[in-house]
Amino acid sequence: MSITRRNLIKTSAIVGAGALAAPYHFIRPAAANGTVDVGVLFSLTGGLSIIEKSLSDVTRMAIEEINAEGGVNGMMINPIVEDGASDPKTYNEKASKLVIRDRVPTVFGSYTSASRKAVLPVFEKRRNLYFYPTYYEGFECSKNVVYTGAVPNQQLSNFIPWIIENLGKKKFFIVGSNYIYPREMAKVCKILIEQNGAEWVADEYLELGHSEWGAMVQKIKDSGCDVVLSNVVGDSVVAFYREFINQGLDHDTLPICATVTSEIEIQAMGPEFAAGSFTSFPYFQAIDRPENHAFIERYRKFVNDPKAVTHHALESSYFQVYLWKQALEKAGEATPEAIREGVKGQEFDAPGGHVKVDGENLHTYLTPRIAQWGADGQGTIVDAYPEPVMPLPYVAYGETPDNLYCTAKGLDTSKL
Amino acid sequence: MADILFIGLSLGSILLLIALGLMITYGAMGVINMAHGELVMIGAYTAVWCGLLFDMNMLIAIPVAFVVAGALGLLIERLVIRHLYGRILDTLLATWGIAILIQQAIRLQFGLTFFDVNVPGLGPGLQNLSVPHWLNRPFDVGGFTVQPYRSFIIALTLVLVAVTWWLMYRTRFGIQVRAIMRNPQMAAACGINVKRISALTFAYGSGLAGVAGVMMGGFKTVSPEMGQALVVDGFLVVVVGGVGSLLGTVVAAGGLGEINGVVASITNDILARAVMYGLVIALIMWRPAGLFSFKQR
Amino acid sequence: MRLFSDRHHVAELLAYLAFIAVVLAMPAMMDVFWLNRFAKYLVYGMLGIAIALSWGYAGVLNLGQGLFFGLGAYMVAMSLKLQSYTSLQQGSDRPVPDFMLWNAEPGAPTELCCITPGSWLWLPFQTTWFGIVMAIVVPTVIAYAIGSAIFRLRVSGVYVAIITLALVLLVRLLIIDFQPITNGFNGLTDLGWLTVGGFEFDPYMVETYYLIAVPTIVVLLLARALVATRAGLILQSTRDDANRARYLGFDVAGYQVFFFAVSAAIAGLAGMLYVVAAEFASPTFMDLTFSISMVVWAAVGGRSSLLGAAIGAVLINTIEATASETEMLQESWRAIIGLVFVLVVLFLPRGLAGLSHDIVARLPFGKRRRETAAGAVANPAE
Repeated sequence: MSITRRNLIKTSAIVGAGALAAPYHFIRPAAANGTVDVGVLFSLTGGLSIIEKSLSDVTRMAIEEINAEGGVNGMMINPIVEDGASDPKTYNEKASKLVIRDRVPTVFGSYTSASRKAVLPVFEKRRNLYFYPTYYEGFECSKNVVYTGAVPNQQLSNFIPWIIENLGKKKFFIVGSNYIYPREMAKVCKILIEQNGAEWVADEYLELGHSEWGAMVQKIKDSGCDVVLSNVVGDSVVAFYREFINQGLDHDTLPICATVTSEIEIQAMGPEFAAGSFTSFPYFQAIDRPENHAFIERYRKFVNDPKAVTHHALESSYFQVYLWKQALEKAGEATPEAIREGVKGQEFDAPGGHVKVDGENLHTYLTPRIAQWGADGQGTIVDAYPEPVMPLPYVAYGETPDNLYCTAKGLDTSKL
Repeated sequence: MADILFIGLSLGSILLLIALGLMITYGAMGVINMAHGELVMIGAYTAVWCGLLFDMNMLIAIPVAFVVAGALGLLIERLVIRHLYGRILDTLLATWGIAILIQQAIRLQFGLTFFDVNVPGLGPGLQNLSVPHWLNRPFDVGGFTVQPYRSFIIALTLVLVAVTWWLMYRTRFGIQVRAIMRNPQMAAACGINVKRISALTFAYGSGLAGVAGVMMGGFKTVSPEMGQALVVDGFLVVVVGGVGSLLGTVVAAGGLGEINGVVASITNDILARAVMYGLVIALIMWRPAGLFSFKQR
Repeated sequence: MRLFSDRHHVAELLAYLAFIAVVLAMPAMMDVFWLNRFAKYLVYGMLGIAIALSWGYAGVLNLGQGLFFGLGAYMVAMSLKLQSYTSLQQGSDRPVPDFMLWNAEPGAPTELCCITPGSWLWLPFQTTWFGIVMAIVVPTVIAYAIGSAIFRLRVSGVYVAIITLALVLLVRLLIIDFQPITNGFNGLTDLGWLTVGGFEFDPYMVETYYLIAVPTIVVLLLARALVATRAGLILQSTRDDANRARYLGFDVAGYQVFFFAVSAAIAGLAGMLYVVAAEFASPTFMDLTFSISMVVWAAVGGRSSLLGAAIGAVLINTIEATASETEMLQESWRAIIGLVFVLVVLFLPRGLAGLSHDIVARLPFGKRRRETAAGAVANPAE
């Protein structure tokens, strides 16, 4: 008996070894038992769980809602939740578990680029599909990832001109956390600032997670700038805004215009420290649509917290499950490739407005909005695009809607 | 220039606030307390909770945080540290485990989430500790902008240093602590209740961490992880200053803070930290026993 | 044979044989996913061996072992990055890592020599063998240099721990800051597979498992042989009383530096093999948490037992993975791990190896060794 079992397992090992030749050995054929497994991979422990736990929750909420309405093509969705533990090593290990052992056709996950980069080899080499909900720096043209967060052009192309024209600001101080997202945002900012006839006086970085802002705010004070563009990420944001006020600066004369500061950080710092500053995001909790009010209410009930806030990555985490559902309905079979083909051009009426997956680069059309934070911790939307804007992941290299670098065929490297 | 020096001074005072408790637990008792950062975190959460439940001003919460963190420290000493005296590297490992436990306890709201109970003010998210208004409204004195919050931290740190000095060098308790520091066996032979004094010393060091936590919470983020990064910096200060030397700790904190502040304003914060680490390495190699140390053991 | 003179040696021999047999037979018992996961744990086991060697045998606690692991990982990852197809897409005939282009000034030449300041450092890594050799050489040389400085100055005990700790944090900061040539916080990703003589090591295949398992066994046996040599015995004497060894005329610092460097070489090898299995290198390898975790693995397994430390690492990681994949424990598994650490330090100061040693000592048969368990020293460092 043991011999046959051993042989069986050995065979499966060899089949696994031949994965390259036949990648779909790893994928369970469309579920016959009436369920379809999906992976949900966010950090439930460690530093990043502060935000990622909420993304995991809202993903499960969307799945429960879909199941309550009868599932997808009659199949119930079965989420396999894993903990990335705020550590790229763990992320990598759990991704390979979901893809290779559990053979799910899709995983929803990640908040930071570092964790996405750590799981990417698994999805690309095993030809699986990853749904990534966060705004990020662009420069990725993977056929195995669907990006439902904003890329730089969807946060900045309206923001910089608006600051210059409506606020009348001319001298930018650009500050960010020291990694690729803030650096790329800075690059796009500089292009836009120069195009619009303003100038930037400094471009400074602080370690990710750093919370000592004394010297930096001093530099801002001494720089003679009239607006601060912040690409600071994570809990550093809280220390930044507090230090800003503590050193006697104020948002009326020298506003912080941020690309990452969301409802979560505002709540944590105390709204009085941010009142008057601006943020650009496609989604805000304050968006006044019945769909959004209902969404906030459902989410608060789901997490059993009447004060829970919603934010951009949270909304994307939510609607991307619906986009996936529609893709699977269209595709008919639960394989990564079929779902990827199905998701192209998929549209959905999300809590924050209409969204659509681009058929070429698998990024999402989103509506850029600018909000000014009030003393109650909520934004007032002061400017919004009339319609969703096309995602351009390579905008820093001159990508335009008429001249795409990332197409369905892959990245056109001759244009870089 | 005065601004830069002030920032350096403020950085130094924050380092000192963290290091003071460590100086006592490590210097006096030979315990590397990796959970010190978590005691800082407990202090911050205590202030958040006092604010939520009793609408307590964060300054009034300072003694409460001292008591809570001190009590937790006492508990840790009784349950774990007591069995590990003399095994310094084992204390490091055990307290690392304790640090993980405390973090998880806060994140899981003491495990109540399993029963679907939510404790407001705990949980995995960022917490907001509200600061009295007068503490974040800077004012001018002769062209120099005074930042009340940082100034308050500096003042509080000085008070704590003074209290610690008085306690260590002017009280019976302090004499006993210093006796244990030099030679625990001899101290015991002279009739000092080593166990009791050690426990109290550890509790006092932990309580100082709690106070530091309230002040940290006022301008950083309050979250279960907030303490982890603090403990290393604090520890470096203690070692550079010299084990068990109050003066050394104060000088080391001030010096490293100023260097950090000045380098940060000339170049950037990342380089400043790198310079600080490099300097610490060089100093320990040059004088392993620290800048100010007595001949011991 | 002196080796088999008493029951403890027999038990030790049996334990080594059993471990090797299990490691070699693993592919017959597991699917490729578990093989890959287990290969990563064996890499951690190698780190446990490195820690036990320096901590258990030399009394030198290195809290910055992640530095050598990380350097080994980055060296080989640089080579594999240049093998990646993405590196050939950047507008040059010769490979250029994609992230360099993003970090370059507009209009910079897309050549490895000069696309960003310092990118020429990558040039020799176009040869994979260079990366592989450097993954061992760089950690060893750096460890030798640092070791010479600290041990010649007779820094010892907890101060070594602090210096190594500060060092790993320093290097981590620098790697993150030199983003144009290291890709900073995101680390090196999109790597090619290790290719030797035309054979591609897919991380999820039996061959790759053996590529990691065999070096682990070799390292284990070599380290075991090393500590039994004259040098190893002298080293242990320096751990127990450095001054006495010094008075006897031994070059204490020399032995300490040698073992410190060997330990670093093992960590470098581990880092290299980790990259083969996990396909990325990240500055988080140099996080404080990871370096302390390694020490804890060794402590749980038994700090003065090479095999024990290796098993401790595999065991803890298996428990972590199993607990975190159990739905009930998904958010609380860390607390369980924390509790295990505390309990082990309190009640099993010599770890699992010490426990099994005691069990063997009480077995009712075989020749009993006269002296007490002097081999497993309760408290090597400090």
